[in-house]
Amino acid sequence: MSTNKTASSSWAAAKAAKSAGPKAPGSKPVPEPKTHDCLLGLSFVFTGELSSFSRQEAVDLAKRFGGRVTLQPSSKTSYVVLGEDAGPSKLAAIKKHGLQTLSEDSFLELIGTRVGPSGTHAKGAGLDEKFRKKMEREEEAIRSAAREMEKREVKEMKEAHGGQLAVSKISDMSTHLWTTRYAPKTLKEICGNKGQVEKLRQWLQDWPSSLKSNFKKPGKNAMNVYRAVLITGPPGIGKTTSAHLCAKAEGYTPIEMNASDTRSKKLVEDGMNIHNISLDGWIAGQQKTNALGVTITNRTCLIMDEVDGMSAGDRGGVGALNALIRKTRIPIICIANDGGAQKLRPLTSTTCKLPFRKPDASAVRSRMLSIAYKEKMKIPTNVIDQLIEGAQSDIRQVLNMMSTWRLSNDTMTFDEGKDLAKMNEKYTILTPFDVTSKMLGPYLFSRTSRETLNDKMELYFHDHAFVPLFIQENYLKTQPAGTRDLAGSPKMLKHLRLMDKAASSISDSDLVDVFIRGPEQHWSFMPLHAVCSTVRPASFVYGSGMGYGGPNGMSFPQWLGQNSKQNKLGRQLSDIQARMRLKVSGDKVEIRQSYVPALFPHLVKPLVTDGSDAVDDVIERMDEYYLTKEDWDTIVELGVGENKDDVLKKIPATTKTAFTRRYNAGEHPIAFHKAVDLGKVPKKISGGPVPDLEEAFDLDDEPELADVSDEETKKPSEDQDIGGDKLIVSKSKKATRGKGKGKR
Amino acid sequence: MSLWVDRFRPKTLDDLHYHHDLSTRLKALAASEDFPHMLFYGPSGAGKKTRINCTLRQLFGSGVEKLKIDQRVFVSPSRRKLEINLVQSSYHIEITPSEAGSYDRVVVQDLLKEIAQTQQVDLGAKHRFKVVVINEADLLSRDAQAALRRTMEKYMSNLRLILCANSTSRLIAPIRSRCLLVRVAAPTTQEMQVVMEHVAKKMKFDIPPEASLQIAEDAAGNMRKALLVFEALKMQSPDLSGPLHIAKPDWETYCHKVADLIVQEQSPARVMEVRAKFYELLSHCIPPTVILKTVAEKVVQKVDEALKADIMHWAAFYELRMRLGSKKIYHLEAWVVKVMCLYKHFTYNFDMSEFD
Repeated sequence: MSTNKTASSSWAAAKAAKSAGPKAPGSKPVPEPKTHDCLLGLSFVFTGELSSFSRQEAVDLAKRFGGRVTLQPSSKTSYVVLGEDAGPSKLAAIKKHGLQTLSEDSFLELIGTRVGPSGTHAKGAGLDEKFRKKMEREEEAIRSAAREMEKREVKEMKEAHGGQLAVSKISDMSTHLWTTRYAPKTLKEICGNKGQVEKLRQWLQDWPSSLKSNFKKPGKNAMNVYRAVLITGPPGIGKTTSAHLCAKAEGYTPIEMNASDTRSKKLVEDGMNIHNISLDGWIAGQQKTNALGVTITNRTCLIMDEVDGMSAGDRGGVGALNALIRKTRIPIICIANDGGAQKLRPLTSTTCKLPFRKPDASAVRSRMLSIAYKEKMKIPTNVIDQLIEGAQSDIRQVLNMMSTWRLSNDTMTFDEGKDLAKMNEKYTILTPFDVTSKMLGPYLFSRTSRETLNDKMELYFHDHAFVPLFIQENYLKTQPAGTRDLAGSPKMLKHLRLMDKAASSISDSDLVDVFIRGPEQHWSFMPLHAVCSTVRPASFVYGSGMGYGGPNGMSFPQWLGQNSKQNKLGRQLSDIQARMRLKVSGDKVEIRQSYVPALFPHLVKPLVTDGSDAVDDVIERMDEYYLTKEDWDTIVELGVGENKDDVLKKIPATTKTAFTRRYNAGEHPIAFHKAVDLGKVPKKISGGPVPDLEEAFDLDDEPELADVSDEETKKPSEDQDIGGDKLIVSKSKKATRGKGKGKR
Repeated sequence: MSLWVDRFRPKTLDDLHYHHDLSTRLKALAASEDFPHMLFYGPSGAGKKTRINCTLRQLFGSGVEKLKIDQRVFVSPSRRKLEINLVQSSYHIEITPSEAGSYDRVVVQDLLKEIAQTQQVDLGAKHRFKVVVINEADLLSRDAQAALRRTMEKYMSNLRLILCANSTSRLIAPIRSRCLLVRVAAPTTQEMQVVMEHVAKKMKFDIPPEASLQIAEDAAGNMRKALLVFEALKMQSPDLSGPLHIAKPDWETYCHKVADLIVQEQSPARVMEVRAKFYELLSHCIPPTVILKTVAEKVVQKVDEALKADIMHWAAFYELRMRLGSKKIYHLEAWVVKVMCLYKHFTYNFDMSEFD
């Protein structure tokens, strides 16, 4: 029992130490390694907190020198680098497997002293037998794959040029992008997503029989009830390639339409042969598709690429596509990046979703290495991994990066790779939810975090309109890290102090916001707004305890809904005020604060207590103040607390209907007609609000000048207005009068 | 039947029950040939509008009571429709420029020019000029006020302005100097009692003096509120005797509940609860300043003497910020957190020097 207790306490201590970060960052220099691949063939596990490197830095260091880093120790782990307060489970694993452990210093020493394979004369010396064999095997595989590619290119050349390949080959090679040149030619060559590709192929294979059974038999993967599939996934992972290769493998002629084709409703309806009546006409009309060199079979397959790009010009395209899918007699493969997009809603019920994932580095690595080998580039494995990671597994981008690099260099070091990946970093827009959980989460402001103020402000700019609202909505939901080592009342007081600081910073941000979005439009204040509204509040209250779901789940800002509700009720209130104006002297605010509570017992209460008997009195009272039935609804809606609009539920349904019927039956005085009902032509306002600057008042002469010119320019337009006005008013007046009579 | 407050509203300057000096002065002004631009200011429920209407009647006779409402529509450059209600008689016109939002300058200029460019049609009218009453003048934007000052001089022959505002602090100095300032102070308790007795006499019943005193004290100088409460009480207990329970308006009780919440517990969860209540009040058109004032006054009643000054200081601080800022809830919430923090620190006897 006591061991259990110590284990838990050491865990708590470890957590505290983790948040404390390295004691003296950067205090130990990294020794000059003998060879750049000195850690090749070794696999490391890091545990505990090192004193001079953050975890990320230590892992980078191991990778840089060719080492492999895994998260959990196993029998294959060569070394475990132990820091302070190592995890108990990892210590147990070390004991179990009898692993070698290193301290931080001896890890650095290892870097400084170990000689990698490139430093010795004999190839592979210094590595254990198994690893060497494995490496050799891998290298052989890479080389053979490269040879394969070479052979195929030569063959294609031969076919294309009828034997005379010697000269044309070279010129032809350089004309193609690497992404086309090294695109997978068979299903086997596709990196990652093997299962999904196989499913797609199977579905295509079963398609004719599914059609015969009228899509009633689900089949092995339960996909055969669908006439179409929707492949979704991030760019550059081979969605289009897989679709084409599967179609080819199953003997279909793929017809591709992508964002460069217009795909409006009309074109989708007319351009596609939905009923598949005449296949010949279809192929003959689309000469271009034959140019791909695909053998024309009697089976076609439609590939709709980038369906989430069907927008603006392609009005109604998705709807038409959906209609097409419902009755198609050829398989349709749709491809999109974002499967959850609103636009693709109609497709969810008609298509089978086939999500493609980003392949991990190991799935892409060997193919990249083969290509590098064939292009005679010397890029070590760890650099390739770096590139793949940097491009977020976008194979197309890795290839593009490599081909660009090839123009100037044929080797690449770890640092160069890192820089290149950084340079080509994709700018992904985070959702406000992600930004908020990152901002208020426990890591961004912890002591080990390497993010600069700039990086933190950058998060605000992912969505500068929403992020502040999200922060304001959610900043009270964390367990601030600043109160972690306290307990009891000091903790509570500290928590309140942090909340206070955050709240006052948010209050500051609103003042800045007025400068930005107010009449002055000082957009250059945005960085200041970023700090006041987002970074500074988060820096006080960051901490754990906020995720999706749970008691403190992150929520969408209420401000938006509440604000529009306020505007709506405000508008209705000014309507009431305008009507009551003939009787009442108060302004809008006074109406709400004094008259609405005062009228409540006369207009609403009697209906609750006396039922239908009170209806006549209520209507009389309403007429007295020129209130309509809509205004009555507004008065009910405006109540708070005990007058809240759920009093409506207390009014019996019979009373309500009696009230409505009686009101509609009678005649009521009307304070005024809405200008719109009278058909008045709205007058255009020329100048908008001008900047609200103090200096503007010091110039005495200017307003007058502006006045005069205003008058001159306005006159002709006013004349026109009046002309138009007269005509329209006289017409519509008759119309409204007629209507009024009809009613009576 | 309309409410008493509207039914027994005085129609002429002679009928007014208090501020008799002011009434005589207004009468003299109306009789003289050079009637000036005027600015009526004072707290709500003091009788500004009533006095303006009485003055107009004094100027033009009973014709000013024949009111009609006319709605004008403007289209802003961003294609938004602005509906402006004009309350008018043949002699005067009443506008509320705050309905036009940020386009108030253009709308006010346009309307004033239109009115000023036409002569008085009625030959039998007592005066050659027409009167434009501008409601909520303290809500006019700065550039609208700047635009007004020239107009006030230029069209003086055809036009007089009567501005009506709660306070002069938001009006620019040039406007103030062009007007005759008329302060309509809140009535005293005695004056309010007189009015209530007058109403009671008209309704043919007697009001016990202690009842009228209690109502007047509760209303704190707001005549409208006093009369509305008076009528509500009369409905509840027809003889108005015994201890009176003055029902607070819905929003006020709600604000007091919020104050209770703040004093009872100080925690993030409670702040969020309070935030929800604030949203409820704001969305139901209770002005943020009123919310802050009501809640702060209630909180102050419940806390220790030593905290009162601080709480009010911060209320004033955030009230100013609310006026400057756009998202009122941020400042309301910042104040609540501040109060909770102060309160908690005080109960634990903590040093609070860092909050100054």
